[in-house]
Amino acid sequence: MQDAPSLGHHLGLGVGLRNVHFDHILREWPAVDWFEAISENFMDSGGRPGYVLAQIAERYPVVLHGVSMSIGSCDPLDRDYLRRLRALAEGVGARWVSDHVCWTGVGGVNSHDLLPLPLTEEVLAYVAERVRVVQDILGRPLVLENPSTYLRLRASTLREPEFLAALVAETGCRLLLDVNNVFVSCFNAGEDPRSYLDAFPFEAVVQLHLAGHQRGPEHIVDTHDQPVSEGVWELFRLAWQRTGGASTLLEWDGEVPAFERVHAELLRAREFMAGELDHGRLDAALRRGPSAAAEGLSTPVDFLVPSVMGRSELAAEAL
Amino acid sequence: MSESKGQPSPPASLRDFQDWMLGALVRPEGASGPELDVRVHPPARVRLGTYQRSYIARLGKCLAGQFPALCHALGPELFDDFAREYLRAHPSTSHSLYALGRRFPAWLEAQRPDRDAAAAQREAWIDFMVDLADYEWRLFELFDGPGPEREREREPTADCPDAELALQPHLVLAEHRFPVAWYYHEVRAGRRPSVPRREPSASVLLRRDYATSTFPVTALHLRFLTCVRERGSVNAGLVGLAEVLGRPLAEIEAAWAAQREGVRRPWIEAGFFTRARPRTRR
Repeated sequence: MQDAPSLGHHLGLGVGLRNVHFDHILREWPAVDWFEAISENFMDSGGRPGYVLAQIAERYPVVLHGVSMSIGSCDPLDRDYLRRLRALAEGVGARWVSDHVCWTGVGGVNSHDLLPLPLTEEVLAYVAERVRVVQDILGRPLVLENPSTYLRLRASTLREPEFLAALVAETGCRLLLDVNNVFVSCFNAGEDPRSYLDAFPFEAVVQLHLAGHQRGPEHIVDTHDQPVSEGVWELFRLAWQRTGGASTLLEWDGEVPAFERVHAELLRAREFMAGELDHGRLDAALRRGPSAAAEGLSTPVDFLVPSVMGRSELAAEAL
Repeated sequence: MSESKGQPSPPASLRDFQDWMLGALVRPEGASGPELDVRVHPPARVRLGTYQRSYIARLGKCLAGQFPALCHALGPELFDDFAREYLRAHPSTSHSLYALGRRFPAWLEAQRPDRDAAAAQREAWIDFMVDLADYEWRLFELFDGPGPEREREREPTADCPDAELALQPHLVLAEHRFPVAWYYHEVRAGRRPSVPRREPSASVLLRRDYATSTFPVTALHLRFLTCVRERGSVNAGLVGLAEVLGRPLAEIEAAWAAQREGVRRPWIEAGFFTRARPRTRR
């Protein structure tokens, strides 16, 4: 298995690579530190997405982030998927490969959602065994992200930070800490995100995620369709300092604005790298009332579907 | 922990939970279960609703992204209804969302209320929707499938002999009952086309430099190109066409020769063909 020096490398501030930004990136080569590509968007691509990623990988550090590994599923691991993931990672020189601590489907069906696991010792042992299998096939440590959750399961006996710390200890995997997901899950569970972060195994974190969320009438939905909230920025301040400046990436997946706007939002991270956590600001964010907007979609994925229409033409009828 | 074929076995309780929750997403009516922690506020059912609502809406948006012209033709509400029923019948079984719409055109055809009627008695607008879905799926597959971009050295020039001209393997030859390519590109242009009248159309779909193009061709040209594909070269395709049409080969070859500048050259320049044999290096 690949040793981990590159995993500890601090890449700086990166942007999630999205289809709608391809033309801009290839034209402008923006001053972004690195890109994160959704693995499933590229691992089978014989067309433009694969071509674009290859071009980008020649100029920027690239990280792969998956949404369909389904590490917690009762279905057998898809070894063909994992082999192709490894080939993609090697092809683009991915600094690391990440996915989520979740399951996405069972019985051969993929919901394309990041569904919650009961956090128990039994499930921990099962997931740890699967992480080891994945790491053997990938030939490198797997990086796993805490998902957003909307349910607390009666069967759970472990807190998520405890579950993740044990998973790291048993497998040597690394973690991607999504600060927005901490805010969303803790709010929905009625927990204090500071308590969550106090228990989090920061020594295993190689990457941080930032994103926007939306408040529903009674809970928060991880919509990735707007700027990062002030409460999440405060949590980022804490997380960034405790990780010693982990590579940080902004995800914007719904109503994706122009690249410059996404990049500008990312660069706001610089404002929150120093200083003390503003508890009053965080508390105010946690107390804030629901938005008037209709509840957004959790885990948006339609951005993964390329616009074929935008690159299609009808030739003259002379032929 | 026991191993099965080199993979760990899941706890039984986890399997029960996942079967239940996935069922609650795919078939949400009447979903309930003891797995939900009813001590949280708001009630667990509301939170399950977040997963349920997002599941169908999320995949419906993906399907609309794969079939934008069909979505335009049906209108978003009716399209969503079809998408909901389709996803219930054919939930995703792939790690990739790109495969989501693969069975959609055939599913639409199978769902038509007049499917048992004679072809002439069937509703024209349903034929159009099925054809449009078929066209859009073929374009989608062409867009991200294997393409000719890495085989530039095999691009022929106009002086390439017919015996060395083979059909570009990624080319799509399509026939539809309506001018669906025209409709699709009207939508692309931001116009609001009406459902066109029935008018058989033949077309060649190809990709070049990672963009797709649709070339309207005559029905006869489509038969010829099909022969070229089946027989392996233009020369052999001419023989095949002569057989199909029951005409003398000399007549077919003369007709092809007469189209050397009007058809053959534009087809080569457009990328219809590849060299059957790689060029030898000097």
